[in-house]
Amino acid sequence: MTTKAFAPSAAVPRKSSPLARLTDPRVYCSLAALSLILIVPRIIDSPFVMHVFVTICVFGALSTAWNIVGGYAGQLSLGHTVFYGIGGYTTALLIQHFGLSPWIGMWAGAALSVLVGIGIGYPCFRLRGPFFSLATIAFLEVVRLLAIHFHGLTGGAAGLIVPLNLGWEWMIFREKFNYLYIAFGLLLLTLLVSWAIRNSRLGFYLTAVREREDAALAAGVNNTGVKLRAVIVSAALTSLVGSFHAMYMTFLEPATMFSLATAIEIAMFSLIGGLGTVVGPLLGTVLVVPIAELARGWLGASANGLHGFVYGTVLVIITLTLPAGLVGTFGPRVGQWIDRLPGGGRRQDAHAAPASRPISGEPGQPILEAKGLVMKFGGLTATDNVSITLRRGEILGIIGPNGAGKTTVFNQISGFLKPTSGTVAVIGPDGAMTNPASADEFSRLGIGRTFQIVQPFGKLTVLENIMVGVFMRHPKVDDARAAALRVARLVGLEDIKDVEARNLPIGGLKRLEVARTLATEPSILLLDEVMAGQSQSDTQRMVNLIRTIRDTGVTVIAIEHNMQAIMSLSDRIIVIDSGKVIAEGNPQDVVKNRRVIEAYLGEDFVDAQGI
Amino acid sequence: MDVLVQLLINGIMLGSMYAIISVGLTLIFGIVRVVNFAHGEFLMVGMYAVYLLGAYWGLNPYVSAVPVIILLFALGSLVQRFIIQPLLGADEHIQIFATVGLSTALVNLALLVFGADLYSLTVPSARQAVSVGDYTMLTGQIFMLACAVILVAGLHFFMQTTALGRAIRATAQNRNAALLMGVRVDRIYVITFGLGAACVGLASALLMPLYPVTPTIGTYFVLTAFVVVVLGGMRSIYGAFVGAMIIGIVDSLSGYYIAPDLKEVVYFAIFILILIFKPTGLFGFGRGTE
Amino acid sequence: MKVVMKAAVAAGLALGASQAFAQETVKVGALYPFSGGLALLGDESFRGLELAIEERNAAGGLNGKKIELVKGDAVDPNQAVGEARRLTSVEKVPVIFGTYSSSLSLAASQVAELAGIPYFELGAISDPITERGFKYVCRTNPTSKDFANRMVDSIIEAVAPGLNADPKSLKIGIIHEDSLYGQTVSGFQQARAKEKSLNVVETLPYSAKSVDLTPVILRLKSAGADVVLQTSYQNDTVLFFRQMKDQGFKPKAVIGAGGGYSTRDTAQAVGTENIEGALNVDFPQYRTNPQAAPGIDEFVKKYQAKYGTAPRSGHSLTNYMGANVFLDAMAAAKDLKGDAIKEAVMKVDIPVGRTATGWGVKFNENCQNTRVSPFLMQWQGGELVTVFPAEAAVAKMKTGIGTN
Repeated sequence: MTTKAFAPSAAVPRKSSPLARLTDPRVYCSLAALSLILIVPRIIDSPFVMHVFVTICVFGALSTAWNIVGGYAGQLSLGHTVFYGIGGYTTALLIQHFGLSPWIGMWAGAALSVLVGIGIGYPCFRLRGPFFSLATIAFLEVVRLLAIHFHGLTGGAAGLIVPLNLGWEWMIFREKFNYLYIAFGLLLLTLLVSWAIRNSRLGFYLTAVREREDAALAAGVNNTGVKLRAVIVSAALTSLVGSFHAMYMTFLEPATMFSLATAIEIAMFSLIGGLGTVVGPLLGTVLVVPIAELARGWLGASANGLHGFVYGTVLVIITLTLPAGLVGTFGPRVGQWIDRLPGGGRRQDAHAAPASRPISGEPGQPILEAKGLVMKFGGLTATDNVSITLRRGEILGIIGPNGAGKTTVFNQISGFLKPTSGTVAVIGPDGAMTNPASADEFSRLGIGRTFQIVQPFGKLTVLENIMVGVFMRHPKVDDARAAALRVARLVGLEDIKDVEARNLPIGGLKRLEVARTLATEPSILLLDEVMAGQSQSDTQRMVNLIRTIRDTGVTVIAIEHNMQAIMSLSDRIIVIDSGKVIAEGNPQDVVKNRRVIEAYLGEDFVDAQGI
Repeated sequence: MDVLVQLLINGIMLGSMYAIISVGLTLIFGIVRVVNFAHGEFLMVGMYAVYLLGAYWGLNPYVSAVPVIILLFALGSLVQRFIIQPLLGADEHIQIFATVGLSTALVNLALLVFGADLYSLTVPSARQAVSVGDYTMLTGQIFMLACAVILVAGLHFFMQTTALGRAIRATAQNRNAALLMGVRVDRIYVITFGLGAACVGLASALLMPLYPVTPTIGTYFVLTAFVVVVLGGMRSIYGAFVGAMIIGIVDSLSGYYIAPDLKEVVYFAIFILILIFKPTGLFGFGRGTE
Repeated sequence: MKVVMKAAVAAGLALGASQAFAQETVKVGALYPFSGGLALLGDESFRGLELAIEERNAAGGLNGKKIELVKGDAVDPNQAVGEARRLTSVEKVPVIFGTYSSSLSLAASQVAELAGIPYFELGAISDPITERGFKYVCRTNPTSKDFANRMVDSIIEAVAPGLNADPKSLKIGIIHEDSLYGQTVSGFQQARAKEKSLNVVETLPYSAKSVDLTPVILRLKSAGADVVLQTSYQNDTVLFFRQMKDQGFKPKAVIGAGGGYSTRDTAQAVGTENIEGALNVDFPQYRTNPQAAPGIDEFVKKYQAKYGTAPRSGHSLTNYMGANVFLDAMAAAKDLKGDAIKEAVMKVDIPVGRTATGWGVKFNENCQNTRVSPFLMQWQGGELVTVFPAEAAVAKMKTGIGTN
């Protein structure tokens, strides 16, 4: 239902020239709405209206910048005014001490904010949900208190006063409209950046990381890396807006520049408008800022606290009535209306899929060597000295009873678990063996894996799920879409490509796992029980699919409980029990192996049968 | 040395105050999983209630504790039932903002009703200085410490032995499993939230003799309470108690040995370090990175 | 959605703007923090202005025109900018009165300056407000430097003689809350103490929201401070006095810088017996010799009649006095344009002891009133009485803190 709102497909990229885009109603409606920000204050020529619109631009820009981290990456920062304050203070201090124009100073502030953003983000990104939020609040409070304490540098609580040098050079004007131009420019900049990220590989990656960290890793996404990129962009933009706003207020104090209340407000605008959407933050701002300003004007005089009370109550009501945000609630409908306008509802042009990554190399050469893998969880030894050599072009089946340690082996040879001892070497592009360090590195070397417990990106459509995988080899969105379509066709998901993944039945999800993994164009494919939950005919289809994949040169390792399927499929079988390799060989020999039968059926059975 | 002992005593007294406030938040944040930014405002509401009961009916704050605890239980339950519960299906971030809105509304409501003036109750019995050797503490503080210990022990007992307590713990550990076992999870949440607020009701009765109430009094406590809860490992009531003591002592010592205006920097820094290096809390009970 | 919203907003604003014209009155802006943490004294300050305006209206208004007050509420600088914009443009006021809070004043006065509208500061004490070379920002009340100097000088002129001690032998502790108010005043205190070669043993900032000041008190106690200079709001003043008693710390004198030391609530919360003897440097309060401050008693009566309580602090009186000065100037100006009003303001010349606060008025080139100084007061028997300067004094200064 909310597909359009959350998914990147909200703005379907169209392969057409920028000029031709203008005739798309989604584009011209947005531009028309945005231009109102400049037109309305021109018509109502009043400095107060101007102030309200400057405030809308400033908070709209702050909120849009916040959304890159808070919405796209799902990291609910409640300390974003750190960057706003750093921007403002750096700019003001550079004016004060070096007479540097704010136009230059704001970039210095942005650079500093980026560094601080990395410093906060890097250690804190593994914190989830509210813990990340609380950590960012703590950082904000620390920065604010330090800014007060070191008053020699910052002016402390007494504040910094920006000298009133008028003119464009100093960003301070008697003609208030100039402020609006700059504020509007900043808003436009943040919106453009936000839109570009949303419709790029980074945007997909951020959504993927937000939804499922493991699946993103398996798709070759460097989780911390993409989040850091989001923070860098967001911090820089926030800082630029902070620099401008400080010039606008001409007065800086720690309580305002590093305000927790403002930080929460920024996040709230995004939430009210629609988290993780391009226009949501601005819409939220446009809704709430005038309410706040007008409530103060109309109610502030009648009783102290009344407008604050009304404001707070309205916020509670908005969250209760519009929990999906304005865009989530009204977006699809408004989108349809807009598409009905002249020039709307265009289908995207067909785009030729890019060539797949060629797989070269000698069939039969070792391409993955796991040696002496030992994995201990506390006192439990999950794998005990497991060694596997994988040869190019084969299909290797791994079987064993439940809890034998098969998936643990998988996790080690795909980099998701670091073995307690032992090594995993993978053939590199140059033909030499290397030892990758992280899961995403394994993935980029060509090891694709599925998860036994499916890991779909629930809020993305099937096609977009697959695209996340494709991006590793084809960074362009158009290419990725076309390549994803090719994979969807291959795996049999084409007819449901626009369904949100969370609505798929288990069989579909299993196929989606395979599809997303295939999309990374692996040279080694690790399949973890992909036949489970499939119907008889689907199983047969999957077997055929795996054979087809192998025929393209891909080497396959499959964990499977469906004996019939695995036996018919595999060139070689490894049997694992209690963490140890107990048998290895071609399927026919393995099924006759006494230890294997013991492991599956128990010694008593073996004895009774007299095998 | 003398100063150090006095500082430690003050730290423990301060810690017992944080403990009573934070235990309530442990229930709300740790079990119901709501980041309740209105927690401090619950305290403010409670303190105004204690004040009114004292000023108009002459009730001793310690006697007012009973009706105020009931009032806060009702307030907490209503908030959970009518504000948080409808949002359970929505993005988890939404709840945070609902409580922020609630907090803003409550602060301003107090401003509207009471104005920005300070209100305080004179309770001589709570402000007697008790001296042991060269060291002093107040009767009210000692009472607070005693109540903190009793509250923590009592809640622990309640959680371990009663059917309701077990249901709450089960819900905290695995919501879905509890649901399957026939626990009415929604009702458990309403009760737990109510209990958390009721703890704040007790705190307000204990604080009123010591501190004057203003509309913004809650804002100071709420962040400290979150620090304490995370330090203590989220759901552990004992953990919250120990965390509160640590923060109380850190507060007291750093105010003296470092600088009074940097004591928050010190405990926020500790908070950040704990989150980064030991996200399960000091005692490994919780799961900060889950 | 967005379009509809904006249209509605714009229409609302336009409506508000058009209503502003139709009346035959003079509107004046009143920009104060009416909500948020500063609301109490913001409101108290406003009452002084409100009384001055009512009095003027009862006497026929400003040159025959009724004066109408338009309130602007701001809790942070961005809101102050917004409200100043609203007052100057939507309401089209010719002047703005304010502000109590220095940071709000700094932000709002900048808007007024660029709009060419006079901004009359009646209560904020941050020095830079009138040191930025602005043309239309004028202030009647003393600055934080005046406060700090008076506090330090009081040690030399009043406390030391009262204790029969050499001022240089007294150990001084400076403590202050760490917002703009405390940090500015304490900064000037340190400078003045250095200038007078006094012995400052501790300078301790703390957060006004703090719930525990014992570390501060123990530091002062360890350092053996004889005189404590505190710059504080209400909450921390109450806390300081209570915990000072709990910890058995008895300095020879405590001097406050207005703020929390001046309100009746503080005295009640602390207990009058505990605050007895505390000195306070502030705007004139109500127990001031009426001979030196003509009109002060009438003001108290009017205040009592209108609001049903005694004034909560001297802020209302100071705002009342300042408002009268500027209203007189406005009446004398040839029109209500910024330049005419400024010209009239610069002509004001009132000798000391002729206003309700006991101050005189003469503006310097920065439009800062030079004939002002805060008074030294003391809590005696539950009342804040003026003890210095001698002509305004109603009681003699005592030594010691607390009655027991």
